[in-house]
Amino acid sequence: MDVKYINPFIMAAQSVFRTMLGIEVTLSKPVIKTSRTTSGEVTGIMGLVGDRKGTITISFQDKGALFIYKTLIGDESTAINSDVVDAIGEITNIISGQARKEFEKAGINLKAAIPMVIVGKEIELNFITTLPIVQLPFNFSVGNGTQEVMFLDFSFE
Amino acid sequence: MKVLVVDDFATMRKIIKNVLKQINIENVLEAENGKHALTVLGGEEVDLIISDWIMPEMTGIEFLKACKGDDNIKKIPFIMVTAEAQKDNIMEAIKSGVDNYIVKPFTPEKLREAIDKAKAKVGK
Repeated sequence: MDVKYINPFIMAAQSVFRTMLGIEVTLSKPVIKTSRTTSGEVTGIMGLVGDRKGTITISFQDKGALFIYKTLIGDESTAINSDVVDAIGEITNIISGQARKEFEKAGINLKAAIPMVIVGKEIELNFITTLPIVQLPFNFSVGNGTQEVMFLDFSFE
Repeated sequence: MKVLVVDDFATMRKIIKNVLKQINIENVLEAENGKHALTVLGGEEVDLIISDWIMPEMTGIEFLKACKGDDNIKKIPFIMVTAEAQKDNIMEAIKSGVDNYIVKPFTPEKLREAIDKAKAKVGK
């Protein structure tokens, strides 16, 4: 996988977390996934088409998703409900929009579809490419010394 | 200050309301699209409009043109929010009289700045 396909996603995730959530994220070592399934429990999915095609997913464990909801919307929720799902959809939308902006700088124009969110572990996904899926794990603090992970998975060609 | 937030996506309205709250603006009205927003403006005094770009029924640009063509509401500062940082969109909004625009993602400070500039542009 060409590094020029990875950097826009890293920059987008870091920038959106910093601006919209006031949180710094730390990237752990990227891995090549062996399965084509969701990485967390609440997953936003976005297809990208144009000069290239691919799929990105933004996935959180329940606790991480609830923290994102609280930070983004300002409300508390103790369980994954439609409001939390919508918030993860919007953060997926904003991160992919920011990534498209970064790709544009490299002369690659992309269009996004409407994000979809699914709830559940290890759900089979169609990434619309035959290439491997790269997983970027971003760690962030949710307070009291607790860390959560956002998985940004993508396959792009 | 009373702000009208126009976006077809309820979650985005909540996000903007949350950002406004962080800069101490809590008097917020909501509308789902331009058409709904014009109805709200018919019955409410509003100090600022923050509108999305892509919406069903009446888009942000159509709503902007309707506002700037109406003597009763054209002096209300109008900020366009867009996820598409494309120059064409922004240029069209500027030509149509937008008072400022902000590209998602944005910080509370960036929104405050956009509000101040929009208010200054209409002399408020």
